[in-house]
Amino acid sequence: MDQAQTNQAIQKTPSTSGEALPGGTFNPFFPDDEGAFDVVYAQEKKGFAQAKLKKERKDVAVLSVFDTVSDSATAEKYQQSDETLAGYPSVAVGSNGTAILVGGRFQVQVRSSDDSFGPSDRADWLQKFDLDGLASLP
Amino acid sequence: MSRPIFELVDNLPTGNMTVRALQALDMIVPGQWENLVGFEATIKAITGETDQEMIQKIGERAIHLYNDTSQGYQRAMWLYQKVDDADKLTATAALGHKIGEKIPFLSFLSRITPKADTAQTVDLGMKLVVEVVAFCQINGIPGDSVGDFVRALAEYSGESLMRMTALICFDGLIPLGPDFLRTTHSLLERLSPADLEKNRIYKDVESLLPGDSPSGKLGFVTQSFDATREWMSSFIADRGISLDRVVGSLKHYVDIADDKLDYLGGFLDLTTNYYEHTGTQTLARSLIQRAVNEL
Repeated sequence: MDQAQTNQAIQKTPSTSGEALPGGTFNPFFPDDEGAFDVVYAQEKKGFAQAKLKKERKDVAVLSVFDTVSDSATAEKYQQSDETLAGYPSVAVGSNGTAILVGGRFQVQVRSSDDSFGPSDRADWLQKFDLDGLASLP
Repeated sequence: MSRPIFELVDNLPTGNMTVRALQALDMIVPGQWENLVGFEATIKAITGETDQEMIQKIGERAIHLYNDTSQGYQRAMWLYQKVDDADKLTATAALGHKIGEKIPFLSFLSRITPKADTAQTVDLGMKLVVEVVAFCQINGIPGDSVGDFVRALAEYSGESLMRMTALICFDGLIPLGPDFLRTTHSLLERLSPADLEKNRIYKDVESLLPGDSPSGKLGFVTQSFDATREWMSSFIADRGISLDRVVGSLKHYVDIADDKLDYLGGFLDLTTNYYEHTGTQTLARSLIQRAVNEL
């Protein structure tokens, strides 16, 4: 990648919209611990919240919510997708991520961090979020 | 502005004394730390993605997040750098040995002055506090959340766990001896704000520490140490950490004379910058993990 050029092009402009909701707003909508799985909160920044999903202490996936008000291109990519999950538009993010757009604004993504955690696991865990609750955020 | 994140990650050394010293600790945390070097290689390793266009997008978003000073990542990097920001001989060339040879410890003796226990103890306390504050900056948690930090310690892995292992071994056990948790606790209790203000790391990072006076900041140092003491104590017991084991493992990389062990702490202090090295890797991981989730 052409890093130097990239860096110059994006010097110091705000990375996050002032309208983005605080990351902590999203935490109540994350899945709960379940059986051998633990949800461990990691980053919580304006417009973004992220947790690790662990199975028997091993990282198996990353769960996140991103407020796309900071980057409209993130939301626009769903317009090219015919797929849905739990009634929300769904896309693949590379080969290890599955994401849905909730309420036309919040991207919920599950990314595998271990080979044992495949696409069907990602779809399962996406549906364990309180998606309708998230969609109803103002 | 400080150096861009991709440059910091691209320029991480692969075989200097810091890397060797950390490799010597692999026996304590087997397989936890891989010396991941290079921004693009780090993106691939962390996301598991190989598509070049996607890697480019992840890199751009990560750089953007890092460059935005309001996000706290640059403050965390600055903290990690300040811990190690002293007269250092971290370049392999400066150590005057050839690749594959052990580092000649004896030739450094004239340059090493063992620190007084008080100075070393305050350094240990300050490094721990820097970890707490940097953790809060990276993860978006209020800067005085010692409780959140202690809970997160149980989940530490990879380069973050290696950094804590090195803190315990290189800044606690080796310079202060096996009883360092108790002696540090009692020394910090007796420390005055004026003593703290003499410490080099404190002088550098003071403005980012919670507390509105030196005595308030000292309280935060003491509180942070006491809150993590139990975790460190259990970690030492669970992992079977002892001076003999650590020195024995370091001997694979450094020619250490047994009658000069008093100098080993000073030698490691002079020749390694493990906070900055692993801190850069921790930051890269957090940025990339966030960036790919925001694509």
